Amino acid sequence: MSIFRKHKSIVDRAASDRMRHKKKIEKAIKESIRDVIAEESIIGQNGKKKIRIPVRGLKEYRFVYGNNENNKNVGSAGDHKIKRGQKIGPKRSDGARDQGTGKGSNEKGDHYYDVEVTLEELAEYLFGDLELPDLEKKQFRFISQESIKRKGYRFKGIRPRLSKKETLKRRIRRRKMAEKIGSHDPADNERFPFHQNDLKYHHLKPKIKENSSAVIFFLMDVSGSMSQERKYLARSFFFLLYQFLNHKYDKVEVVFISHSTDAARVTEDDFFKVGTHGGTIISSCLDLELNIIEKEFHPNSWNIYTFYCGDGENWTSDNEMCIELFKKIKKVNQLTGYCEINEHYSGMVDDTTEAIAPDGSPWPSFSAWKNEEMDNLWSKLDPICDNKFKKAMVGDTNHIWKAFKSLFGGKNNE
Amino acid sequence: MSDWTEKDLLHWDQKIAQVAENLGLDWHPIDYEIIDYQEMLGAMAYVGLPTHYRHWSYGKEYERTHTLYNLGQTGLPYEMIINSNPSIAYLMRENALHTHILTMAHCIGHSDFFKNNRMFADTNPNNIIGSFKAAAKYVRELIEDPSIGIDKVEKILDAAHSIKYQVPRFPGIKYKTREEKLQIEKELIDELPSYTPNLEKVPLHPEYNVLKFISEHSKHLKEWERNLILIVEESSKYFIPQALTKIMNEGWACTIHYRIMNELNLPDNLYLPFIKLHNQVIRPHLGQINPYHLGYKLFKKLIDERGFEEAMMIRETQNDITFLRCYLDQEFMQDMNYFSYSFKKKAKGTTIDDITDDEGWEAVRDELIKNVGLNRIPTVFVDEIGKNNTLSLVHEHDGRDLDLAYARKAFDYVKILWGDEVRLATIVENEIWEF
Repeated sequence: MSIFRKHKSIVDRAASDRMRHKKKIEKAIKESIRDVIAEESIIGQNGKKKIRIPVRGLKEYRFVYGNNENNKNVGSAGDHKIKRGQKIGPKRSDGARDQGTGKGSNEKGDHYYDVEVTLEELAEYLFGDLELPDLEKKQFRFISQESIKRKGYRFKGIRPRLSKKETLKRRIRRRKMAEKIGSHDPADNERFPFHQNDLKYHHLKPKIKENSSAVIFFLMDVSGSMSQERKYLARSFFFLLYQFLNHKYDKVEVVFISHSTDAARVTEDDFFKVGTHGGTIISSCLDLELNIIEKEFHPNSWNIYTFYCGDGENWTSDNEMCIELFKKIKKVNQLTGYCEINEHYSGMVDDTTEAIAPDGSPWPSFSAWKNEEMDNLWSKLDPICDNKFKKAMVGDTNHIWKAFKSLFGGKNNE
Repeated sequence: MSDWTEKDLLHWDQKIAQVAENLGLDWHPIDYEIIDYQEMLGAMAYVGLPTHYRHWSYGKEYERTHTLYNLGQTGLPYEMIINSNPSIAYLMRENALHTHILTMAHCIGHSDFFKNNRMFADTNPNNIIGSFKAAAKYVRELIEDPSIGIDKVEKILDAAHSIKYQVPRFPGIKYKTREEKLQIEKELIDELPSYTPNLEKVPLHPEYNVLKFISEHSKHLKEWERNLILIVEESSKYFIPQALTKIMNEGWACTIHYRIMNELNLPDNLYLPFIKLHNQVIRPHLGQINPYHLGYKLFKKLIDERGFEEAMMIRETQNDITFLRCYLDQEFMQDMNYFSYSFKKKAKGTTIDDITDDEGWEAVRDELIKNVGLNRIPTVFVDEIGKNNTLSLVHEHDGRDLDLAYARKAFDYVKILWGDEVRLATIVENEIWEF
């Protein structure tokens, strides 16, 4: 006779392997994130939008037959009438019916995970260990909210704050005592009135929630030299930055400034959508930023961050001015980031010996690499670079994340 | 709410056993574990084994089944049974009584098959649970060992899994070490002076047990790494007989449950849902081979034509390949309405190659056999160890080309295990291809 056992397992036996699998997925997501973050479709989306990320690296590779003419499959056609050469849908086994016993089924089972994540989750993966550097508690704290909370009871108070419940409880307590010592007999129906001492009042305490306040300036070059691709990279960078800030901090003011030969404060929408035109005078936007800081965001009470993104092809005459303004900005900022977009950059910016492109020609129109032309903005910014002023070069979508990390690597990077 | 109690199960179990005995079946005693659906998912992920070593791929399998189940794309299996003595089978608490009765009858079919089919002769049902348990413990200890840890363990397991089916395809082929092989050669030379093999060559003859070969001959593996490879090999060995008999095993179990159920005199409220469920299990899957369907129909045909006694003999002596090779005929193939199809590069689509008419049915049958169990998995063997300890692997090309992207990755995995250079030869589009 068979034995029947009611299985009582407290532990979910697959838990650790599932956890491990999940970690691998997350890792794979992080690895493919570089391809994802600059996807046109996610730029300019709000946090709720779901993005499908193809996750690689979770396949279990084995020797399998390829999907080709010599590798025929066999299937049942049921009641259908069929003939040779008839075209049929993709019916390679969907694995769903494989009864899970894995008995030698060699189906590649393309476990090409399309993991669906929201931007918020993506941000979580991306920004988990990054943070705005040096967020200081400024002298005047930003009072985000003054909430009032009930906290305990008092014997004195105003009438509206009378706690009926506590008062009643005290009266009951007093009556029980009275019954015990015999001064009150419940049987003789005598009134047992409230006493002054029964009354209790709610106590209210104002609670001030303090918040270090931060303002971020987004400065973007929208001059004519910002080609479609460059603009796209800049937008991607800012988009990522914006997601990062939204994700990490509840209270962040963002000021959007776009500039060509002159600068304008624009809305978020316009910032991400605006077209390009005109020449480049970077100082215009720096000037505007300083103006705004002076009027609205006093450095004593605000953590200020500035991120500039452009192609660095500034008018030469403006460079000196820019450096001066950048210095000023740096002084009042927690962090200033200068991000140069240049498609000729291929990730070798640190390797100064490689000033020549692989094909032997000098890097064309690339301010940082034109060693003969020392007055480019990129190299002129060198002297002021430190942990409060960082610059990054972005050549293609792959660099965005790198640039991002170099700016916000936080503790890990220092 | 379930419509049954444990008493019902005991009651029906007894009746089922009685009928099965009358049929002349001979099975291991069965222990049923009554579990909920999550435990079932867990059991499925670990191919039913109550003890199995850890690996993330089982977590993936769990998630996959879980997702499919939640999407309603798949039902959970009604039965899941381990080839052990006693056999361990699972009953899902959420199922109705008729499902349990069917499952129990079905499990007797499987257990009978495990115990009698000769493909399983070398399995060790008395110790299988224990040996998996020992392996699981060993892996766990490696993972917990601070000098090793999960990453290193996974590296070896991932790599070994990539060639887990590169072991002999039929049971009873014992792996021989270099020394044992040399011994055999020497004896042969003594007997046959004309026999002059090259005794320097390693391996002396093509070696199909790639896992064991690497574990024996790699110069870089640590002791525990060798052991891990052997653990993977050992668990493959457990599954090979099952892969070789999927169609027969399921077909037999369906045949048995159907016979038993019909002799139980079930009341209508159990019999009707049983019939419905039975028909669901053995229905054809469009564009695929449903082993339950094929196996059941073929056994039914054989029993109708040759009687139950002969079917009992077939279940003992055949495996899927011989089973199909011997007993498929055109009429049956037409009845199943099988067809072969493939992906055409030129047409950028899948089209039907052959159908079961007079000209085509043998071709379809041959393709069917090529698609059965381990035949779906390419065979790669060790040719020799060459200069600089280079391991030469050869893919035994049978007309079907490898998927190169996958082969590349699997090749890289072999390199991890071997530690020195590896070469792999195959044929792609009629040309020799080497990695």
